[in-house]
Amino acid sequence: MKLLSAQNITYSINENKLFHNLSFDINSGEGLHIKGGNGSGKSTLLRIILGITSPSKGFVKTHAQDLNMSYLGHKNAIKNYLTPLENLELLFNDAELKIAFEWLRKFGLFDLQDELTASLSYGQQKKLALIRVLARSSDLIILDEPLVGLDQATADQLTSFLIHKLSEGVSLILTSHINPMIDCRVLDIGANGA
Amino acid sequence: MLRLVKAESFKLSKKLKSWLGPLLIMVLVLIAFPLSIDISQFDLDKFYFSIIVVSLLMTSFVATEGMFEEDFEDGSLEQEFLIEKDFYKLVLSKIFVYVCLIGIPIAFIGALFSFANGVAIGSFASVFLLLSLSNLLLFNLFAFGNALSINKGAMLGVLSSLPLALPVIILLGTAVRSIQFGDDFEAIITLMTGIGLLMSAIMPLIISAALKTHID
Repeated sequence: MKLLSAQNITYSINENKLFHNLSFDINSGEGLHIKGGNGSGKSTLLRIILGITSPSKGFVKTHAQDLNMSYLGHKNAIKNYLTPLENLELLFNDAELKIAFEWLRKFGLFDLQDELTASLSYGQQKKLALIRVLARSSDLIILDEPLVGLDQATADQLTSFLIHKLSEGVSLILTSHINPMIDCRVLDIGANGA
Repeated sequence: MLRLVKAESFKLSKKLKSWLGPLLIMVLVLIAFPLSIDISQFDLDKFYFSIIVVSLLMTSFVATEGMFEEDFEDGSLEQEFLIEKDFYKLVLSKIFVYVCLIGIPIAFIGALFSFANGVAIGSFASVFLLLSLSNLLLFNLFAFGNALSINKGAMLGVLSSLPLALPVIILLGTAVRSIQFGDDFEAIITLMTGIGLLMSAIMPLIISAALKTHID
């Protein structure tokens, strides 16, 4: 089933075209790996797909009603003055919290759940932010450089999770400089200002 | 909506500086002012309420300074946009929570100090109501200013919205004069309630559009 279609997406900053006439579809259970150099507009393209940023030309059409998307970008969207547990309680209902606790254990954060998030390392904060995506059921997962800052064990756990989700029919769009080792279609948007 | 109100209340209650700071400033100004003048030369009760009004303006200004900045910086605004598709409910919840947790206590302190200093301006309830309504208006206005310049330091936007607060101060002053002279002040309270409700409904729409522009 087709989830969303992007038609002739162009994005320019002033006169500088980041990308031009990009068209692609995302089907259920399909992965899309967006590749490109620094400043090529990978994150911007993700934000256009999410509807946060408006494209200069073209449009993104979602085919499913109430498409449920989970997203993690460069910003972790976690509160440093709260504990990991409090951060999760803000995000999830009781059922989702149970899953979130499992991920806390898997990521080795369970014993740190009552510490201030500000005292966690960058990698630990990234893991906490990833739980936002991992514990919530969604039709489409969108991740911007998800493997950056993660140790190998966590990166492997995340990769396994994403492969499993793809097999369950959840779609995935990600940007990554590291080969994610996931069976994905590749969309290369060039070095920069293509 | 309830989810947002609960989340915003929890977050604000955890940020001691954000809610306790404005309350302490209010108390400090209201205590320090009478101490800093020779009361025997002045009739404090005649102009003490003006000090309460200025303190109210200042503390509302300080209280709303970081209203959206943190959520913008850490990416929470983007996440909220994905859930709700706009920021109307978020803004409405934030203003509601800020008014309840900061605005109303400030109004209470103001009313308490005005009576402690023997200011003859009607009943405690009417002063408290007046100050609470003023805070509702001021918080809406300053939240708008905050949202306008969220990526350039929110204080700049709050400053730029300061002129919009002047009519609120004029209204408040008129109400106080009416109470002091025994005139009918219910009309002004009704007017302020009407403006407050209208502003509470419309301002989140405008603020939501401003926030969307910033995350775009």
